[in-house]
Amino acid sequence: MSVLSQVKDAQVKDQSNTSLDSHSVNPTGDLLETLNIIQVSGLTKSVNTLEGSLTILSDINFSVKSGESVAIVGASGSGKSTLLSLLAGLDVASQGDVQLDGQALSTLDEEDRAQLRAEKIGFVFQSFMLVQSLTALENVMLPAELAGDHDARAQAITLLDKVGLSHRIEHYPSQLSGGEQQRVAIARAFIGSPKILFADEPSANLDSKNGHLIETLLFDLNKQNGTTLVLVTHDEHLAKQCQRIIHIEGGQLEKISVGETTSENTGKNVNVKEETSHVG
Amino acid sequence: MWVKLAFKLFSREFRRGELTIIFAAIALAVLTVFSLSSITERIGLNITQKSSDFIAADRRLSSNHAIDTQVLSKANEFGLETAKLLYFDSMLFANDELVLGAVKATTQEYPLRGKITIKDALTAEPYEVTTGPTEGSIWLSEGLFYTLNVEVGDKVELGAGIFNISKVLVKEPDAPFFSLSGNKRVLLNYNDIEKTQAIQPGSRIFHRYLYKGEEQQLTDYYAWLKPLLKSNQEWQGIKDRQSPLGNNLDKAERFLLLAGLFGIMLAAVAMAVSAKRYCERQYDPVAMMKTLGGSRRIIRNIFLLHLSLVTVFSIAVGLMVGYVLQTIGADYLISVMGAELPNAGVKPWLLSSFIGLICALMFSLKPLLDLFDIPPLRVLRRNLGDTLAISRVHIALSLLTIFALMWLFSGEIITTLILFVSTLFVIAILFGISRLLFAAGRSLGLRPGSSWSLAIATLQKRANANAIQLISFALAIKLMLFLVVLKSDIIDDWQQQVPEDAPNMFIINVAENEIAPLETFFIDKNIPHEDFYPVFRGRVDALNGEAFARKTSKQEGEEKDEEAKEGKRREPNLTWLSTLPDDNEIIEGEWFADNIAESEQIEVSVVDHWRDSLDLELGDVITILVNEQVIEAKVTSFRKVNWATLKPNFVMILSTNMAGKVPVMYFSAAQIQEQHTKDVSQLLQRYPTISMIDIKARIEQAQSIIAQVSIAIGFVLSIVLISGALVLISQVQASLAERMQEVVILRTLGAKGRLIKLATLYEFILLGAIAGLVAAIVSDVTLFVIQQQLFNVDGRLHFYIWLLGPLSGAVFVSAIGYFMVARTMRQNTQGLLRKLS
Repeated sequence: MSVLSQVKDAQVKDQSNTSLDSHSVNPTGDLLETLNIIQVSGLTKSVNTLEGSLTILSDINFSVKSGESVAIVGASGSGKSTLLSLLAGLDVASQGDVQLDGQALSTLDEEDRAQLRAEKIGFVFQSFMLVQSLTALENVMLPAELAGDHDARAQAITLLDKVGLSHRIEHYPSQLSGGEQQRVAIARAFIGSPKILFADEPSANLDSKNGHLIETLLFDLNKQNGTTLVLVTHDEHLAKQCQRIIHIEGGQLEKISVGETTSENTGKNVNVKEETSHVG
Repeated sequence: MWVKLAFKLFSREFRRGELTIIFAAIALAVLTVFSLSSITERIGLNITQKSSDFIAADRRLSSNHAIDTQVLSKANEFGLETAKLLYFDSMLFANDELVLGAVKATTQEYPLRGKITIKDALTAEPYEVTTGPTEGSIWLSEGLFYTLNVEVGDKVELGAGIFNISKVLVKEPDAPFFSLSGNKRVLLNYNDIEKTQAIQPGSRIFHRYLYKGEEQQLTDYYAWLKPLLKSNQEWQGIKDRQSPLGNNLDKAERFLLLAGLFGIMLAAVAMAVSAKRYCERQYDPVAMMKTLGGSRRIIRNIFLLHLSLVTVFSIAVGLMVGYVLQTIGADYLISVMGAELPNAGVKPWLLSSFIGLICALMFSLKPLLDLFDIPPLRVLRRNLGDTLAISRVHIALSLLTIFALMWLFSGEIITTLILFVSTLFVIAILFGISRLLFAAGRSLGLRPGSSWSLAIATLQKRANANAIQLISFALAIKLMLFLVVLKSDIIDDWQQQVPEDAPNMFIINVAENEIAPLETFFIDKNIPHEDFYPVFRGRVDALNGEAFARKTSKQEGEEKDEEAKEGKRREPNLTWLSTLPDDNEIIEGEWFADNIAESEQIEVSVVDHWRDSLDLELGDVITILVNEQVIEAKVTSFRKVNWATLKPNFVMILSTNMAGKVPVMYFSAAQIQEQHTKDVSQLLQRYPTISMIDIKARIEQAQSIIAQVSIAIGFVLSIVLISGALVLISQVQASLAERMQEVVILRTLGAKGRLIKLATLYEFILLGAIAGLVAAIVSDVTLFVIQQQLFNVDGRLHFYIWLLGPLSGAVFVSAIGYFMVARTMRQNTQGLLRKLS
């Protein structure tokens, strides 16, 4: 582990301990809410179909602390991608609310939600979602340029260097392999130092070698940047690398379990247990 | 700022070819409109100018009595230029030779339009001047030099005056249509009239005032003049409904207009398809940008800037290419035909830019608005927003725009409506037919795994998309076939009207005893000529015993009244004939019976537009006044006459039992070449009462129009071809991703490259052949209707295009279609997969 990684890791531990202490004092208090970077309350999503109203998600409640890594798992059609879209403000809930870094998404319109995403959120998608007419470097700089930041070039080059693509910054997506494209997408996700990173099946379209590389990168950068990671995946192995695992089944939160990394952070264990009992 | 990002995205999208079709479609629409409107405008101006040359002015006022001089001075107040002419016959005397000359005295301003051709000596080269002879000098036509045995520089007596012969008069712009004795023309300065003392009370003279100016000035002046006009005064312009020139030009304009509309329609289809496709391809980037925090405003600005840039570039390129093309075309016309084409002005620039702008805006607007509405959630739900792609609003907006463009360009709502509605109708039929054909393909029972069965299966699988493609192809092929056939029909028709050996000289005032020597002369000199027609002048005075004045006063509508007056007032040339002339067609009633000579009742065949203006019916008896003689004739038929033929034609033809009842002169036409000029002059010396009217200039002009229009049609055809190719390319491009996917699947399943290639080729051949067949049938039927309704020519079916359609369709569609997808075929599965991802 690099020195930088160790330093970042220590910072994460500090934050987690703080979280534990606060929670112990007042589990529903204001202080807790400020430390929960994502707070989900009674979240429900229904859509109208020809057969009538269909509930995709029903009364979901949980919270995610700053710097935490959380995996959302579930079978196909269980509603995990819908949950991700609601958490990121890409879609609006039918009932309930999501608070992102203290801001209730239900109170924001589309433009405000876009602004919030620009400032606080990074994304990695299964299908990479790179703009084909932009080079790797330009793709990484895109979120910063959309947010009006024109000095992002240096940061973008650093990030591409970190994902091992400093020699391919002028290449277009069509000239890159799938693994390389996803690494560009990861670099893009970290530009502007977002507080939260949402990843949707980031390694599903890749072979196992590239998939593993991407996962390692994702977690390393997440740690280095102290970002909160919310990951949607089918992959149990990947999910277990997160501190907590939220299981969604039939649109409902079935349980929240602990990932394999929790041994490093006892505080989170406590938190997870409490939430699990709440759900149960 | 977003501007930098927008420019970056634009330059990349442009280089990647994403905007090429939109760019090409707008540019094509602009260059079509620009070149066509420039060329037609320039040809039109050229025709108008030449037509003005024929009367040496823009308008003229003619009278056989002196015209009030206030009329002229008032014209100057309206800003018009004027000239005065006086025509009279007077004796010329020189070297003991005496001859009657047709004198035209002109003020210094004559001619206001066109040029006078003169020579410094009989053997000198002719050249053009824009003013007539100065005071004291006189210009004589070549025939008079031989008759009077004089040279340039000699003196000649005209009436009581003695004048210096200073030039040989070769051609006056307005002479051929007035000259009563073509080879004995004299041009004199207006101020010298008094010197001749030829104008005495009772002299047969003819006054003419000429006017030149802007159309508005002329209209205003005429509004002032009209109430003052007397019955013996006639206001004449260059527009003559029956003139061959007017008819040909009218047809040419209609054709070019029609063809231009097709080019624009096709470009519009390509534009609509490619704009929709471009926007669809931007769905993912837009969803991504929104996800990454891009605001709706920024995204809107980025893509509106893209649209603006592509519009500006394409309009600029369209104008440039259009300008180059029309310059090349105009230069070619000038060099080949010797035609002078005046500049078209700013109208084509403005019109084409405006149409480019409208194209860009209206065909992209709905897809762009849809693009702005793409939800960011599409990054997770990949098909979200796809339903927006099938937009009835886009279709409606595109159709409305096409209609508006057609209307704007044609300026004719009826033509636009006919074309538009019939095209919609055709599209509906085509959709039904294509679905049926694709369904029928199922029962062919081809061997599974063969290229043909794969091609048919592919066609059936994309039945809806293919039906739309088929409609586009069929529409493009239809328009191309349509133009090819119409071009050959119209040009053939025109060339038949003005064949190479068309007569160029009308021979008038021939006495019966002069026919035989004239015919002998023509045969000896090998000069082609028409028959000799008996001709006399008569005025229609009454209908069924009721004097015309009272009857027509009851008619409603000024125009009709004017037409009727024209009919009554004029004393047209009449004839009698036993057989119907070639270019005439009986549209009602019967031609005279063979034994009509034995009948007492004189019968008359009347041209159709006189029937309408005089309210004639079969069986009516009309009274014709020939001098003081009254002729009663029963209307037994109405005729349609092709006035464009430049052959002798008559508004009324009487039955042959008229012979001997009125004094007549004879009339004919011949094709007299340059080398016969001297022989003809000598002939006319022997028969001084015979006159010849030179119509060479008119024939040359008609032939020049045909040549100009042929070139313009060729140009339009190429534009329609390119537009058709663009439609095809845009359609194939739109299906490229789906094709890639199919190729990947087929290859993965073990299909050989050859099978896939052949299947694709056959698919395009089938598609092209079906489209071509449908297009051939539809265009032939439409042609049949349009030729009759729009061009007034006999409609006929062209079965060769029923074969040409499927063949050309198969070749055209398969060549372009296969070329478009060939690259996809060549790529390996891995490369295709990467592209698809």
